Amino acid sequence: MDLNELGLILASTIRNATPLIFAALGGMFSERSGVVNIGLEGLMIIGAFAGVVGAFFSGSAVIGLATAVAAGLIFALIHAVMCITFEADQIISGTAINLLALGGTGFLMVVIFGSGGTSPKVESFKPIAIPGLSDIPLIGQAFFNQSILVYLMYLLVPVTLFVVFRTPFGLRLRATGEVPEAVDTAGVSVTRMRYYGVALSGILASFGGVYLSMSLLSAFTEGMTNGRGFIALAALVFGRWNPLGAAGAALLFGFAQAITFRVPQDVIPNEFVHMLPYILTIVVLAGFGGRAIAPAAIGKPYRKE
Amino acid sequence: MTEERREGRGSGGTSTARRLLGNLGGALLFPVFAILISFVIGAVIILATGNNPVAAYAALVNGAFGNPAAIGRTLINTTPLVFTGLAVAFAFRAGLFNIGGEGQVYIGALTAAWLGVSLGFLGPLAIPIVLAACVLTGFLWGAIPGVLKAYFGAHEVITTIMLNFIAIDLTVWLALNPLRSKGLIPGTADIDAAARIPLLGLGLGRANFGIFIALLAAVVAYLLLWRTRRGFQIRAVGLSPGAANYAGIGIGVNTILALAIGGAFAGLGGGVEVMGIYGKMAIPFVSNLGFNGIGVALLGRNHPVGVVLGALLFGALASGAQQMQFDTNVPLDLTSVLLAIILLFVTATKILEFVLGKRARELAAGTRLEKGLGS
Repeated sequence: MDLNELGLILASTIRNATPLIFAALGGMFSERSGVVNIGLEGLMIIGAFAGVVGAFFSGSAVIGLATAVAAGLIFALIHAVMCITFEADQIISGTAINLLALGGTGFLMVVIFGSGGTSPKVESFKPIAIPGLSDIPLIGQAFFNQSILVYLMYLLVPVTLFVVFRTPFGLRLRATGEVPEAVDTAGVSVTRMRYYGVALSGILASFGGVYLSMSLLSAFTEGMTNGRGFIALAALVFGRWNPLGAAGAALLFGFAQAITFRVPQDVIPNEFVHMLPYILTIVVLAGFGGRAIAPAAIGKPYRKE
Repeated sequence: MTEERREGRGSGGTSTARRLLGNLGGALLFPVFAILISFVIGAVIILATGNNPVAAYAALVNGAFGNPAAIGRTLINTTPLVFTGLAVAFAFRAGLFNIGGEGQVYIGALTAAWLGVSLGFLGPLAIPIVLAACVLTGFLWGAIPGVLKAYFGAHEVITTIMLNFIAIDLTVWLALNPLRSKGLIPGTADIDAAARIPLLGLGLGRANFGIFIALLAAVVAYLLLWRTRRGFQIRAVGLSPGAANYAGIGIGVNTILALAIGGAFAGLGGGVEVMGIYGKMAIPFVSNLGFNGIGVALLGRNHPVGVVLGALLFGALASGAQQMQFDTNVPLDLTSVLLAIILLFVTATKILEFVLGKRARELAAGTRLEKGLGS
């Protein structure tokens, strides 16, 4: 393998990992606040779709992104209202969000574009080479000739880490997921913190979706998230609900995807490389190599006594 | 917890009938509420797209039950959902969430596709043998998250989701490589026609005796849960793990069994799909049966009778959707939206609480798990 090919694998790793990182960090905000979000897949596809619709009617990729964020937020708020206010089961609500997003985008494809399948092409976020940095051998093209969304992702990881572990908001968020009673006693609204957490998951997951439909591609295709929301969920668990861990896991899973089609099929079949993230997640969840422990109050509706 | 104790009490003898009647109103309240609200929202959506909701729903009903062919399609759609609904409901009775129905269906389907071809020379005699093997492989695959939960504390929601993808990858690889046929369609070879589940006939198209296997499975699930010692133990673990443990009921073994038996139902469902409808495992294989099974189980309040009714509703919506799109230009994806809305509202006990007061919460028994993911 020459240096050039290694560079291509690195670039592909970043491209695969970016949507996973957005969605996994989104999921982290929700789950750290105590609300399970298995609806990440649905939130991503809503973002991917709404972004394309926004860009289609405005001709602007940025307006597309704004539309996507608004749509992701609305869908996340459905999950929030159901789980937090109406105390519906969080797993079931998440499953419903996935079904609603998948069916809803299929429905709206026909209503808006006249047929299912793939949307018309729209404006997208093209790669921007960062002068100087992009000329570094091996890593330059891989890391610094990417779309603006990738650079946003580079910023998002440290920002998330800081917000979650170094700010009063982060402390309250984490406490809400661990001991909501204490947060309540301290005069902070558990409900409000959980709404923030779930809302952030919708916003960030929709960024991941937009990256798929308006950076990797320039159109929406039905079902295009193709399980990435669940891989993001796996990355979140594998990364032990920690921003750095989740990002690292997403990079690992992205790398696995990147080499899938470079490993000869008769050596290791694609299907087995594809399984890797799921197997690894089960392994850490089962406690091999340090146990992954979820926030203590996750999944439980909070009722004031 | 009080409402759950109500649910568990008086499980034998004549009191069962009285309890069933007494609780009927409560049992129907949430599902009917969820179905109504979804159809109202659906009507608003149809209006918004410039179509007539009455015409759309009429086409939907017509497409599901309007003629023998339509009824046949509804039966075909209903059959696998009974199995995946039971897979979810059975585990739910032990307080466990089986999201793994999808993968378990694939495992059963592959078992049938593989053995069905190998044992095809046996003719009809192959059917019970192959289906028994599907039950076994589904059971073993379902036992994996059980073992992971019982011995390693890994939460079944995450492990069953992950195992879905592993099962799909594994079966797709098997169907496309060692078991691949020489035919044009990617997948396994055709099973001998004599070794397939016979068709019902009566103008019902491809509908086959699989629906009776599904109904039998629902009866078996009921008998296992409410008429055996093991079923009592499984329900006891679901109602109160602490009390069950104190009474000497092993939580670990019942956790494993509940998930494994759930897996056996879904595995059988995959086998019946292959032996009854497809005659092989073509790639891509049918999808979303496992996820829709969650909705079926919840709508049916995790009771076998409810599961059958829930599967019928989901199955009817799926077959009516084609007709609706054909007659009225309302995209068939509307039915996914309707199902999602049903799912959203069926456990939202608090909405009705605003309307009916605290009583609504008691009536919600059996539709939710009052425990978190952390434990």
